Amino acid sequence: MRYRHLIPLAACAAGAPAFAAQYLNAEQAQKLMFPEATAFRQQDLALSLAQMQQVEKLAGLAARSVNWRVVGAYSGDQLLGYMVLDDVIGKFELISYAVGLNPDATVRQIEILTYRESHGGEIRLPAWRHQFAGKSARTGGLTVGDGIANISGATLSCTHLTDGVRRIAAVAQVALKK
Amino acid sequence: MNKHLIATALAAAFLAAPLAATAGEAELMARIEKMAAELEQLKAELKASVKKTEAVEQRQQAIAAAAPAPAPVAAAPATEPAVAASAPSTIFGAYGEINYNRPTKNASGSQADVRRAVIGVEHRFDQKTKMVAEFEWEHAVVSADDKGESEVEQLYVEREFGNGLRSKVGLYLIPMGLLNTNHEPTAYYGVERNFVETAIIPSTWREVGVSLSGDTAGGLTWDTGVTTGFDLGKWDAAGGDGRESPLGSIHQEGQQAKSRDLSVHAALNWRGVPGLLVGGSVFTGKAGHKADGFTANDARITMVDLHTRYTPGRWDLSALYARGQISNTEALNETLVGNPTPVPKSFAGWYTQAAYRLMEVGDYTLSPFVRYEQFNTAKSYAAVPQGLGVAASPDEKVTTVGANLKVGEGVVLKADYQKFKEDKSRDRLNLGMGFSY
Repeated sequence: MRYRHLIPLAACAAGAPAFAAQYLNAEQAQKLMFPEATAFRQQDLALSLAQMQQVEKLAGLAARSVNWRVVGAYSGDQLLGYMVLDDVIGKFELISYAVGLNPDATVRQIEILTYRESHGGEIRLPAWRHQFAGKSARTGGLTVGDGIANISGATLSCTHLTDGVRRIAAVAQVALKK
Repeated sequence: MNKHLIATALAAAFLAAPLAATAGEAELMARIEKMAAELEQLKAELKASVKKTEAVEQRQQAIAAAAPAPAPVAAAPATEPAVAASAPSTIFGAYGEINYNRPTKNASGSQADVRRAVIGVEHRFDQKTKMVAEFEWEHAVVSADDKGESEVEQLYVEREFGNGLRSKVGLYLIPMGLLNTNHEPTAYYGVERNFVETAIIPSTWREVGVSLSGDTAGGLTWDTGVTTGFDLGKWDAAGGDGRESPLGSIHQEGQQAKSRDLSVHAALNWRGVPGLLVGGSVFTGKAGHKADGFTANDARITMVDLHTRYTPGRWDLSALYARGQISNTEALNETLVGNPTPVPKSFAGWYTQAAYRLMEVGDYTLSPFVRYEQFNTAKSYAAVPQGLGVAASPDEKVTTVGANLKVGEGVVLKADYQKFKEDKSRDRLNLGMGFSY
């Protein structure tokens, strides 16, 4: 169902000064993730060394970055959750994506902002993205072949994106969880 | 921060020394020693801090090189791209495989081969246009006296039009089966590529042409295109290549390809359920090219395939069926009477394969697999006058049992054993190393 939203949005993107593989921008993604939000506040995150080490331990991956692009979604003063923006390399090209997180650090939603590989655009499919919902760095199940199904013919794209989401889930667990 | 501390400590140390001269010598020494110790501690802390900063900076630079610019966050207007236009970029990749085959009933036929070494280049001209090239060497050495081949395996420009619609122009891989477009050694099980997708579908199969592809919200990807096709004029009835791979022996690979007759292809792949792929494809075109005096100018080559792959949890299950047909070969085969390899009317095969991710230790992943395949490169021949024809071949049945050991993401070590039902002399043990990045 959610995917239907993409069609008019993608059509808009195509109608705008063309940016072919861009499906959403950050603003559109945050509205898709938190339709009930009345305000979005940029609250970028800088991890301490100890937090980075915790992230590495939780995710089983290098923490990669100190700084994370985070937007808080609010309804009045009530925190609804966060959106973390990130990029990973697919096979050769950059995939830009956003991870929506609940205040308890569980994944709420994944949105693909740009995808430029010739193959593997199927990571945009709602059924595939839905596999992440409700999981967290604590619950696990955020690994291809263990909770996340592979996409045949796009193994690298879906593995790298899944790793990226797992890393962000760990960042949320360590630094954003309320 | 730490630098200031050290400077202060040093200043303090030097200033404190003359002041302390009025105090007792022992006290002075104690103070100097204490400060020296503090200084050493600060130095160590500074060193550690610089190292950490460098590591973090290196990581950030690596990411910045990959990500052209951070996405504008909340304030981004609706039409602005999430990733700013990046400078044109060129990416190099490579893959390769070295294999060892040991026929178990004829060990003297054992062979080690640098099967292929491939360099890939991708250049992005702008956000919508890129070039993809792959250059390949097979069998290590290429010269007039050697058996190696040097080839351009892919060379195309791809343009995106938005809404998932994209077009390729150039030498590109025909979207058929599971292996042809995913042929890196890290992408398949077994040392050698499966027989159905080499003998029946002539992987790595590429043609020069124009394609259009797109995908739908329901998980369907479609590809269609007009390309060069096969040249039946190259058929060698005296040799065995046509028996090994009928289409592999008459493919043109963009090498001064005869193009009087063009071919068309179409493929549909559905990935609507996570982990499942179901697809099929068709390729058809005439292969005579109206050559003077050629007796099979109406011959049409048609290939179809159906394939599925399902990857629930640790399992990786796949199955594929492929069938090829060459029509209007009666007159040609009459001219080839007496030769061992006339042109077949049909050739076909199928396989089913199951792999299981058994063990993961560190970055080692061990996946045993078993594959059963059945194929026939000369399933039937067009009718020729009685007594002059060649009998159709029996189906060959091959069982392959082995394992892939992945080291990290890009390296794979493989071992398997292949048992042939018809030609038992081909039973063999295979070992291989492959990589891809």
